[in-house]
Amino acid sequence: MTHISRREMLVLLAGSGAAAAVGPLLESGAALAQTPKKGGQVVVALSQEPTVFNPLRPHIEVDRGVHFGIFDSLWRTDERAQFVPNLAVEVPSVKNGGIQKNGLEYTVRLKKGVTWHDGKPFTSRDVKFTWDLVMNPKFGAYTRVGFDAIAGMETPDESTVRVRLREPFAPFLTAWGDAYIVPAHILESAADPNTAEFNTKSPVGTGPFKFASRVAGDHLVLGANPAYHGGAPPLERIIFKYIPDLTVLYTQFKTGAVDVTGLQGISAEFYAEAKNLPGVTIHLHHSPSVEYIYFNHGKPWFKERAVRQALYHAMDKRAIIDQVYYGVQKPVEGYLPSTSWAYNADLPTHEYNPEKARQILDEAGWKPGADGIRAKGGVRLSFTNSTTAGNKLREQAQALVQQNWRAVGVDVQISNMPAAVIWGEYYVKSKFDTLMVGIQASVGDDPDCLNRIHSKYIAAETGSGRNVSQYKNPQVDKLLEEGVREVDRAKRRALYLKLQEALRADLAYLPIFSYVRLEGVKQGMLNYKPNSNVLHNTWNMHEWGWKA
Amino acid sequence: MRYYLARRVLQALVVLVLVSLGGFTVLHLAPGGPAAIYAMSPTMSAEDMERLTHQLGLDQPLHLQYFKWAAGLATANWGRSYRDGRVVLEVITDRIPATVVLMLSAFSVAVLIGLATGIVSAVRQYSLFDHAMTLTAMIALSIPTFWLGLMGIYVFAELLRVLPPGNIGTIGAPFALGDRLRHLLLPASTLGVVMVATWSRYTRASMLEVIGEDYIRTALAKGVSRGAIVLKHALKNALIPLVTLAGLQLPLVFSGALVTETIFTWPGMGRLFVDSIGYRDYPVLMGILMFTAMLVVAGNLAADLVYAAIDPRVRHS
Amino acid sequence: MSARFTRHRPAVVSVTLIVLLGLGALFAGRLSPRDPVYIDLSHKFAAPFTKGHPLGADELGRDVLSRLLHAGRISLSVGLAAMVVTVVVGAVLGSIAGYVQGVVDTLVLRLTDAMLSFPPIFMLLVLAAFIRPSLASMTVIISVTSWMDVTRMVRGQILTLREREFVVGARALGATAARILVRHLFPNTVGIIAVAATLAVARAILLESYISFLGYGIQPPLASWGNMLNNAQSYFATAPWVAIFPGVMITLAVTSFNFVGDGLRDALDPRHARARA
Repeated sequence: MTHISRREMLVLLAGSGAAAAVGPLLESGAALAQTPKKGGQVVVALSQEPTVFNPLRPHIEVDRGVHFGIFDSLWRTDERAQFVPNLAVEVPSVKNGGIQKNGLEYTVRLKKGVTWHDGKPFTSRDVKFTWDLVMNPKFGAYTRVGFDAIAGMETPDESTVRVRLREPFAPFLTAWGDAYIVPAHILESAADPNTAEFNTKSPVGTGPFKFASRVAGDHLVLGANPAYHGGAPPLERIIFKYIPDLTVLYTQFKTGAVDVTGLQGISAEFYAEAKNLPGVTIHLHHSPSVEYIYFNHGKPWFKERAVRQALYHAMDKRAIIDQVYYGVQKPVEGYLPSTSWAYNADLPTHEYNPEKARQILDEAGWKPGADGIRAKGGVRLSFTNSTTAGNKLREQAQALVQQNWRAVGVDVQISNMPAAVIWGEYYVKSKFDTLMVGIQASVGDDPDCLNRIHSKYIAAETGSGRNVSQYKNPQVDKLLEEGVREVDRAKRRALYLKLQEALRADLAYLPIFSYVRLEGVKQGMLNYKPNSNVLHNTWNMHEWGWKA
Repeated sequence: MRYYLARRVLQALVVLVLVSLGGFTVLHLAPGGPAAIYAMSPTMSAEDMERLTHQLGLDQPLHLQYFKWAAGLATANWGRSYRDGRVVLEVITDRIPATVVLMLSAFSVAVLIGLATGIVSAVRQYSLFDHAMTLTAMIALSIPTFWLGLMGIYVFAELLRVLPPGNIGTIGAPFALGDRLRHLLLPASTLGVVMVATWSRYTRASMLEVIGEDYIRTALAKGVSRGAIVLKHALKNALIPLVTLAGLQLPLVFSGALVTETIFTWPGMGRLFVDSIGYRDYPVLMGILMFTAMLVVAGNLAADLVYAAIDPRVRHS
Repeated sequence: MSARFTRHRPAVVSVTLIVLLGLGALFAGRLSPRDPVYIDLSHKFAAPFTKGHPLGADELGRDVLSRLLHAGRISLSVGLAAMVVTVVVGAVLGSIAGYVQGVVDTLVLRLTDAMLSFPPIFMLLVLAAFIRPSLASMTVIISVTSWMDVTRMVRGQILTLREREFVVGARALGATAARILVRHLFPNTVGIIAVAATLAVARAILLESYISFLGYGIQPPLASWGNMLNNAQSYFATAPWVAIFPGVMITLAVTSFNFVGDGLRDALDPRHARARA
């Protein structure tokens, strides 16, 4: 029990945003880490089924969770938001000469003696091949972000890669930290890399675990790679078990059948019970996603800042977090989670004040009609709010917001849709009124969100970009442009602090909370390290193991 | 008979074409699409989404997409899953064993219990047992399967802790028959309840009808023992219409399996269907629709042919 | 006939139950202790008979009894509306197919076969996943997957009727096809349609609960018996009343309609009654 609360404290503190205090505390936690014994297995439960094992093909988060085991990237981002070398000998920087020409050229030196799971050597040719494949118009690659910034790539020798960028692109390191290298010798000879057996049945990587077996719809097994270049992993195997229902997943964790609850973790409604369960540790993991009320600024209701302000004041954020989400989530005022290095902790705090909301609307000329709904110039404050149908807690929060807003004379109709409908054109082409949505604005730990907020990136107007809220603000545009060009982290941070201030003042969207996921881990399992900077907490499974 | 056979086969083919056209149109005309599942990823750009849609061929005219798919179907090439790129036939056949195990065990138990209770009900018409069975069967037919399953999990897995709450076997443990059976019990019973009810009621009705026939009355009058009549004569004749029931129940059983598999995390075809709807995996969805439609059509065809063989009048009607 | 129906005791009990459920739904507004959508977080998961909730409160402190009554309104409306559409479509198609015969008949039959070869839930899920869920769309998609049985039954009945003396006579006297259908044939199918209708209501209520449970049905905050259950599994341990009552309501309603259908069938067909009772 004391063990649990101590761990919880640590993780809680890690999320509290006091950046200076966090480092040493986590380090002392790391110093306590024990060396796990050899052998054993871990069962990770996932609420979606991983089926895509080629890391470059279109995939979802759970697939990524498996990629971490089988494949390696050149470097990765650790739980302290530091880049640590993986297939590279060191992370390129201006200091070590890896970044030259004002961020236009990167030189990467690769580890020697690394082999693929089939015994063939890993070389610079594989890195070049990976880039070529992603850019190949015939290959159905997942994303080209970070790849299309590259003008050319040379391989002077087997262990050196030289990359030329089209223009300085600060998030380059982050993008390539999430780019997994695939074997040229296997995929080159495949008739069609889109349909190669490699993608679904026989992936071969350089990672700490090898693909062992899979029972479709049920589970898959990864076995240890004793020849791993980072040292043989302590565990003998890892089983990824697919349990679609979060309640069943939790039940099975409770009964001990599952060692780790992955990705969506434990639903908040079980928090009270889960934290008192014997024999398990519950981690409060700060994920990079933030929950918002998203406005469509192209619609008549949200043109005025007064309306946005009134809606924010009328929303009982505290009740959403404490009652609907059982106090698990953390309130935020900006688009970054408190764990981010660019997080602005000094933004004004939300105040729940329906009276003030009414006053603001009155002053702005929105007068209640006969039915109590406010209107101005023929526009009634009556619009829809949408989210993914079937997301239970969110639907409850939605019902609460509906009631909150109704109390100040704003009518909201709930119009939820299945995921594949709402996140299609309805979202991308800005057809919604308002959304309740969780968004990870930045890639990895990078605070860049240019194509989500910049006025040039409104897909409804230009067909490109992801500024689905159609938000336009010249000051914000300028800060975003500067932020993506600046390579120096301290200077970048100042720019993003200002950006968050501007967005908060204008209330471009209403931030509610940053997601804190409850992740359960059986006691005795060592080195489970929640990491906000990666998509999935299986990122370090090469270190996992059981207490001796 | 040969003409009749040819006509029925032709009709079956027409039905399958209708099924495929209907399914394909509904799926593809619907809002949303397979690329939407990637939309929320922070690394995904609008260009990436458009490129993927293009690479899947989803920007082509609908009729061209249909003909391409239908031509593939005819040559046993059912396309590839949008989600993971695997061959659709393989994606489906991977899931068949789990569904078959679940369905067959539910089915066989249901038939046995259903026949037994149905016969007793018919022989002891209007007895207390008969009334109780009628009421029970009616309720069983009316309870939502998912709710029954959830109550089962709550009672047997959570309160009493005697049965596992789901899964096909203990996670990570090697195969053991006893373990598998324990995991099978709850889902199979849930799925079986509705089937028991159906079989019990049909058996009873069928038996009563046969018992009312003249030859049975004659046999009774001749002093043949009641038990012998029930088993030798009545049951034999009552079974014939029941055989077709098996075929007709197939689509319903698949539906029940879908819900049951969802609740008990059973890795069968029903679960695959639910997941594929979430991913808008059109090729897999169409594959499952066609696969079940074929089974049903074949089942009906077989039942019709058996009937035609027994009763020549059918052929000419 | 009515005497035969009243002898079917479960059917009589069921009619009483249906009337009660119907009255409950009809007067939900007056009978409900509270506003069914009013959220009161201080009453979260209040147990039955506490804080003025006879059947307890749900995850947002909404009154379960009030929600059950209003949900009944939704579920029964969907059931009845779907029944009407099902019966109308089925009867029209069935009579036309049975009377006109030929190509039309073949077409209708093949369409029926095609629809019957989809497992109903597959079909429902496919349709529901693609249409924005509402009361009307629920009704439509349930009807789309339910009309086939009625069509077959009515067609069969018309087929046997059309060669009867009174029809042949009317035809000889120069009556138009439409007149024969409406005046002579249709009235004789009312019995079987009545049976089909009650069974269709039962089926529709059940199907609505399935779709809503799988998350594609009636959307919150509107309550239906089905969607009151779709987070039910999380609450079995902490607040079983949230999960149990809606299930009981569905079972009660569906069983009742099924029994009534059974009773009607027996009343219409004495031979059948002897066999099934």
